[in-house]
Formats: sequence, structure tokens, C-alpha cells
Amino acid sequence: MAVEISAPPPRSLRSRRGIVVPKFVSLIGRRVLAALLVIWGVVTLTFLLTRVFGGDPVNLFAQPTSTAADRAAIRQRLGLADPIPVQYVHYLRDVIHGNLGTSYMTFRPVTADLMNRVPATAELAVCALLFGVTVGVAVGVLSAVFEGSIFDRASRLLTSAGLALPQFWVALMLIVIFFDRLHVLPGPTGRLPIGAFPPPKVTGFYLIDSIITGHLSTFWPALRQLILPVLVLGYGVSSPIARGARASMILALKADYVRTARALGLSRARTWFVYAFRNAMLPVITMFAGTVAWTFSGTVLIEGVFGWPGVGQYALSSLENSDFPALQGFVLYASILYVIVYQLLDIAYTFADPRIRS
Amino acid sequence: MTTSLDPAIETVIPKPSRLSGVTASVFSSIRSFRSSSGTLPIGLILLAFLVLVSIVSLIWTPYPPAATGTGAFSSAPSAAHWFGTDSVGSDIFSRTISAGRTDVFYTVAAVAISLTIGSTWGALAGFFGGWFEAVTLRLLEVVQAFPALLMALLIITVLGPGTLNVIVVIAIIPLPDFVRLARAEVLTKKTWQFAEAARMVGNRPLVVLFKHLMPNSWRPLLAYASISAAWVCGNIAALGFIGVGIQPDAVEWGSMIARGESDVVAGAWWEALFPGLGVLVLAIGCQLVGDGIAARNRGEQR
Repeated sequence: MAVEISAPPPRSLRSRRGIVVPKFVSLIGRRVLAALLVIWGVVTLTFLLTRVFGGDPVNLFAQPTSTAADRAAIRQRLGLADPIPVQYVHYLRDVIHGNLGTSYMTFRPVTADLMNRVPATAELAVCALLFGVTVGVAVGVLSAVFEGSIFDRASRLLTSAGLALPQFWVALMLIVIFFDRLHVLPGPTGRLPIGAFPPPKVTGFYLIDSIITGHLSTFWPALRQLILPVLVLGYGVSSPIARGARASMILALKADYVRTARALGLSRARTWFVYAFRNAMLPVITMFAGTVAWTFSGTVLIEGVFGWPGVGQYALSSLENSDFPALQGFVLYASILYVIVYQLLDIAYTFADPRIRS
Repeated sequence: MTTSLDPAIETVIPKPSRLSGVTASVFSSIRSFRSSSGTLPIGLILLAFLVLVSIVSLIWTPYPPAATGTGAFSSAPSAAHWFGTDSVGSDIFSRTISAGRTDVFYTVAAVAISLTIGSTWGALAGFFGGWFEAVTLRLLEVVQAFPALLMALLIITVLGPGTLNVIVVIAIIPLPDFVRLARAEVLTKKTWQFAEAARMVGNRPLVVLFKHLMPNSWRPLLAYASISAAWVCGNIAALGFIGVGIQPDAVEWGSMIARGESDVVAGAWWEALFPGLGVLVLAIGCQLVGDGIAARNRGEQR
């Protein structure tokens, strides 16, 4: 495969003035550059999709009685009168300044709308990712260690189901079981039960805010509201992670260094959880990025089901109203976040793997 | 590649079978029920069951699936309505079995389009390399930066509703994976002996690619197609659930769940349970078949 072989990258780059640039700086520099390129592509693609192939937004504003002059005025106001390349340059300039346009429905800047809603989604997504990754890694490693046992078979069945189950359906079924039948968890009323007041805003995370501002009475209700959506999203996250961790761990357990470690008299647990585990987790790190994207997609539907006032619900309502700037803004926000997370994980991976680092 | 233990040699030796490609594999996997990893037969049985139910629904359903007011509104499962009725009195059993046709068709169509275009594109990129490959890889990076469902939502909002639009949009989601997979397959196999031999006897590059390399690469692609079908059908149901692309009252599992959503929260679990089970059977069936094919591929490589 001569195609894939290229010269090994130099350990450090020497700039023209003779200053040695450490390798990790040049690495991060290259990563940032790659991320910027992808983000530019994403921006361009959303622009093409909505402005070039999309319908005429003027129709959303014009009355049936509007004259051609009225329509031209609306077009002018929306900035759609210019030729496409000019619109594109304006659009790029706006995006760079963090201006994602004005929502057709709320008449507020899309950026402000999104920022208002980010904490709700972030609290949900962070909890779901923490829960999903922890459970996924634990289940995957244990089913690799006890390969072929009942635990292994049960977990493989559950993770297969987790990949195949539609999350919105799981959410509805959990609501039926825990809210409607067992009455142990609250219904889908968003971040707090109806009638409860949110804690004063510090971080926007209700769990954290209720503790640091001393409103402990809101902590418990907020936590109870989180359980079901986190369970659903976390299950979706944990399934691919568990499968990946299991496959990777099984390979690691069969590796020569594990056999050597055992032969040298190290305990079973030590070889499993120190030697094999650390090596097995490397490929799993790269899977995290995928699960982050999965969680973003998931929040759209899950926020809809649970009445969660986050960006996902915003996207849903903008979808129903053909609110292009809002939808475009949301997709951009999600993609850019994803690209950043992906690149950060890639850098983290480089530092976690000594073979790449040195 | 000078080693005489080239694994490709095994694949070059023709098997004594008059059936070609996919059909042969399906038959051989049915023959080797016991030897395979066990997931393949279960998956095939699930999918066969769905196809059977869909065919039955063409001939017979207890009530017309689109009819409203066939019984009381939101009534629980009973002898007259096996799966109960929904908020407008439609029979959920009739709707659930009829909806199988829609969802299975959408899934198969979307995966088939994605597999065909993606693998051809990827094979060309891997075979010819150069700027075409470089542009392809950069483009894939951009497309894959969009969370899949969000991109589908954006495109479908732009394109507008309709059967073809839904299929095309859903087909775009797994496309990058097929491109990558086909590229990797062709890239590794184009230097193997059978490909070298095909080239040496004077075949043109495109003939080598499509008559010699592609037929030797379709097994991992097929395994992946089946696995991706599992979440393709989940995403189709999701579009129906949101009410984008697929008409709100369509006889489709996701749309049925959407119609029942508010009743479900009030306790009418049957309105969401049964259409959801349909999605589940289809998704798990596809996944098991995919896992089974992948396991067989690995087994033969050893």
C-alpha cells in the first residue's frame, strides 16, 4: 500500500528565525486549521441548502394581496435582493461576527434565542454523556472480561437493542411505566414540575445553581425531572460505547503483553484493569465524538417528548414554522460544536497514546 | 504483495454455485444455520415475518387502515380491536400491519440507493486516487460534521415533503460510510494478486474495478448495509414522528406514534407500543442479519 506511506512528520518544526516550535503546538495548529476548514464547509453547505435550493422566504411574509413592490421591499429587508455571491459574503461576515440572523417567528436574533436555551440542553446532554459513557465502558469491559457469561449475553442483547430502538419510543414507554403506572417519576413537564420556580441563574444548570444559591428545595425536583430523559439519551450513548469497549477489551486481553504480565505473576485483576484496560480504551476515545453527535440528534426528539425547553425544542418549532434562519442557526451551532469536540478528542487521543505522542 | 499466502486467492477460486452474489450468500447462509454465529437466522426470521405480515396486510386487515371511527376513541386492546384504537377511533392493529409496507419499503429503498451510489463513488475514489479521492475525503469530513438527523431535517425542510424526498434524504445519512468502506476495500485489494492478474491480462481499469474488485468487496458492504438499515428505519420513524416529510396522518409507524403521543402520556400505552414494536422488529432484524454477515466474513478470513 504505497499510497498510504508518507514521510514521517518531523519531531519539531524549525521556523525561519530558528525558533523551535514544539511538536504539540504545530499539531494543535494543524488541528485548528483543519477544524476551521470543516466549519467553513459546513457554513457554505447550509448556505447553499437554504438560500440556493430552498424555497422563497418572501412567501412567508407576503400577504396574498401584496403588490410586486411590497414583495420587493420585503426581499430588500431580508437581504435577499442581492446576487447570491454577495449574499454569501454577507452571510460569511455575519457568521464570523456571531450573527446568525433574525428568527422569522420570534423576531429576535437567533444567537440570543439559542444562548437562552443552551443551558437546558447542556445540562441534559452532559448528564446523559457522563451516565452513558460510564455505564457503557463499565458494561463493555465487564462483558469482555466475562466473555460468554450470562452477563455478557444479556449486555450484548441490551446494547443491540439500544442501537436499534427509536429513542422517542423508549422515552414514551418509560413515561408510561414510571409516571403513568408506577407514579414514581414526574411527567414530561420540562426541567421542573408545573408551578415550581427555577433557582437564580448562575451557570444555568439547575442542579448546580440550586446548590450554590442555597435553593436546595429545587435540587430534588430538578433531579427527578432529569432522570428519564438522561436515562433514554444515556442508553443511546452507552450502547455503541459498550460494544466498542467490549471488542477492544477482548483483543487487549488476548494480547501478548497480558499473557506476559500474567506469566510474571501479576494478579488477574491487575492485568485486566491496569494493563489491558488502558490499552483497550484508546480506540474507545475516538468513539466519544460519534456519541456526542448522536446525543445532539437525540436531544431534538427527546426534548420534544419531555417538553424540555432547550435548543432541540427550538429546532423543532422552527421546523414546524419554516423558520429558516433559526433552523440554519441551530444546525450551524450543533455542527460547529461537534467539530470542536471532535478535534479536542483527537488531540486528547494523541496525548493519550504514547506511540503518537513521541 | 509477493506472498503466496495471499488471502485473496481463496476468493478467486470460484465456488460451485450457479447463483451469483447476494442470492448465493443468502442461500448458503440458510444452509449453514447451525454453523453461523446464530444471529443471522434469527434476523432473517424476523425480517421474513415482517415481509409476510406486510403481504397479508395487502389482502386482509380487520378494518381499513385509514378508516376513522371504527370503534370507541382511544379504547384499550380488546377482542374487537386487538391492539386497541387511537384518538380518532382507527384500528391500531390494521394500521400497524399496513404501516410495515411503508417503513420496510422506505428503509430498503434508502439503503439500496445509499449502497449503490456510496460504494461506486468510494470504489472510484479508492481505485483512481488523486484529486478525486482528496476532494471526496474532504467533502465527507464536512458532511459528517452534521449530526445525521439534523442534516436530514434541514434538507427535508428545504426540499419539501414527499416519498421520494424522504428516501433521498434518508439515503444521504449513511452514504459517507459506504464511500469510506468501499474506498478502503478497493484500496487494500487493488494490489492483491487477483487484481494484478486481471490487470496483467489486459483488462481496462474500469473492468478491473467493477468486474474483479467490486465483486470481491461486496460482503463487508452488505454487512454494513444491513446494520445501517437498522438506524435508517429508526430515522424514518423519527421523521414521521416529528411530522416532517411524511404526511402527518400517513399509515407509518412513526406518524402513528406521533398521533398517539398525547394519549400515551395520559395512559393509552397501546397507541405507541405496537407501532414502536414494528420499528423494533425491523431494526433488530436488520442489525442481527448485519452482525451475522460480519461474523461470517470474519470467520472466513481466519
